[in-house]
Amino acid sequence: MRKTKFPAVIATFIVCFAFWLLLTWTVDVQNLIAGTVVSLLAALFSARFFIHESAFWLANPLKFFVGLFYWVCVFPLDLIKSNLRMAALVLGGCKDVKPGIVKVPVSLKSEYGQTALANSITLTPGTITMDVAEQDGQTYFYVHCIEADRPGAEAGESIKGRMEKWIGRIWK
Amino acid sequence: MLHLLMIISDVLIGIGAFFALIGVLGILFMPDVFSRMQASTCVTTLGIIGVCLGALLHAIFIVGSPSSAVKIALIGLLVLVTNPVGSHALARGAYRAGIRPEQPMEIDELGRDSQ
Repeated sequence: MRKTKFPAVIATFIVCFAFWLLLTWTVDVQNLIAGTVVSLLAALFSARFFIHESAFWLANPLKFFVGLFYWVCVFPLDLIKSNLRMAALVLGGCKDVKPGIVKVPVSLKSEYGQTALANSITLTPGTITMDVAEQDGQTYFYVHCIEADRPGAEAGESIKGRMEKWIGRIWK
Repeated sequence: MLHLLMIISDVLIGIGAFFALIGVLGILFMPDVFSRMQASTCVTTLGIIGVCLGALLHAIFIVGSPSSAVKIALIGLLVLVTNPVGSHALARGAYRAGIRPEQPMEIDELGRDSQ
């Protein structure tokens, strides 16, 4: 079991409290005190599951704006493209599906980066990250892909696309 | 102006509903478990984004209530953040429990490596 670290508790507390304020949408004293107590308790118990590396990466404005640009402008375009591809597959009667599990090498090292890449791959219709493995210091994702008729390296590039480069700019 | 915004919001909700329909059709007609999960991702990405954007426009400009606008935005955000974790866990659990498609897969590098 990992230890609870102080910066991790602070960061989790800030996120919990922001959610509390946004969901209740009132600022009277009673509400604020209750929110502080509840989010502090939640942060104390759960911080060690969420944050294992630097807790305040969002405080770096450059990374924040790169991340914002990626998730607001670049990623939705990929999302729309693969959604249309999936719509064409389904409306064509699901005849062209060639499911398979492809092994994709990943060059990101940090936990945040790998999690963000795996979640982006899963969020794209047509690919699901199934498992993670590490061999000789190189991390691999096993990705279930609905059009797995191309050989390894090419399929990996088409799955990761631009995502890995962009996420690598935020978390190495 | 208000009419234009209403039309845009309705069109966005329509797009969301269309992709939800695509997802459901995919779940019904795809051949095996994993491919069905792939199709269901359509519902939780463009389906949710379309419906939430439409409802957001409606809440801000037509109803004029910032608190419901914030709640709608948070619902969309939370679905987008939590959905990949759930589908990853389901797919991995199904594979580990020994579920395989009836037609063999094109490539199965996970099965090859775990032997």
